[in-house]
Amino acid sequence: MSNRAIAAASIVLSMVAVPRLQAQASSKDSTLGPPTAVMVSGPDVGRRAPAFRLPWASKDGVGPADQPYDLSLDRGKIVVLAFFPRDFTQGCTAEMRTFAEQYDSLFGPDVTVVGVSTDSLTTHSRFAASLNLPFRLLSDPQQQVAARYAAKDRSGYMRRVVYIIGPDGKVRYRNMRFNALDPKHYADLAAAVRRTRAG
Amino acid sequence: MRFWLVTAGLLGLLVGSRPAAAQEAGLAVGARAPVVAVKDLDGKSVDLGQYIGHKPVLLEFWATWCEVCRALMPTVRAAHQEFGDRVEFFGVNVTVNQTPERVRKYVATEHPPFRTLYDEDGVSTRAFQAPTTSYIVIVDRAGKVAYTGTGSTQDLATALRAVAAP
Repeated sequence: MSNRAIAAASIVLSMVAVPRLQAQASSKDSTLGPPTAVMVSGPDVGRRAPAFRLPWASKDGVGPADQPYDLSLDRGKIVVLAFFPRDFTQGCTAEMRTFAEQYDSLFGPDVTVVGVSTDSLTTHSRFAASLNLPFRLLSDPQQQVAARYAAKDRSGYMRRVVYIIGPDGKVRYRNMRFNALDPKHYADLAAAVRRTRAG
Repeated sequence: MRFWLVTAGLLGLLVGSRPAAAQEAGLAVGARAPVVAVKDLDGKSVDLGQYIGHKPVLLEFWATWCEVCRALMPTVRAAHQEFGDRVEFFGVNVTVNQTPERVRKYVATEHPPFRTLYDEDGVSTRAFQAPTTSYIVIVDRAGKVAYTGTGSTQDLATALRAVAAP
């Protein structure tokens, strides 16, 4: 391998690594302990969303073990996939409560929303009931699905990441740093749902 | 061989770097507080630069649905009673899942001990890196962050005593 090739490889990898590290090291976590970098890109807009199946719970209880949520069964629908750190924490409560109370304006009845975290199904059920969530919460304790969507964090809790998956199974929108307190992020999400619906 | 050594080193940088980011962020103590303009409930722009860097300021990021904020309110009220003549108190409503009418009604009934701002564009939420509601930032008169905290039990008096000292 020539020195030029080595230099080229170094430059390319640095271009990928350094901005990410700078962006991710720019803040501190005040509630959930220090998350660590997991450098997986996740499916970008236009790419096919990775298939998965996960057990779920809702405000009405834990879903049947033999009937997990299966993304492939929602082909033909718009799916909002919302990874979040932890049930009953303030940021997640703000996000899920807003999704629930603004469901019609943010999403609409034709959209399937699912939340995903590492919490157990029983905790999910209690959380969903406490907020009267009109959608299911999926349990991914080992963050296997989260890893495929770049929402995995080595802190043990997922990052707050939101995807919109179109009826064709492709990613139409993603926010890899969704801020539960930023009204602009909700407005952008709602606009992306409308764009997806419009085709 | 050298190629793979370089590649491995850079991948190590990618994967094994220092603890990074957090989406649930907050300003660092000692950092210069951002100066932004935020609207109040009447739509009037309030330039925080009129206060930050001139006198101590306390900002609480809150919402009417925030039960933790409600639990924190007696502490904020007590702090305002003791320091309100020397420290400017602002309550920045984060406007997520809120309407001005809902906030006005809450203010009219609860009389929170701060000037209410309605951050419809999320300008200050982003600038102050608010990780959650109940997030309090205390800024000293030089414009530097002296305290940040979240939750229903926060020791505001210690930080306020320090920044309010002549």
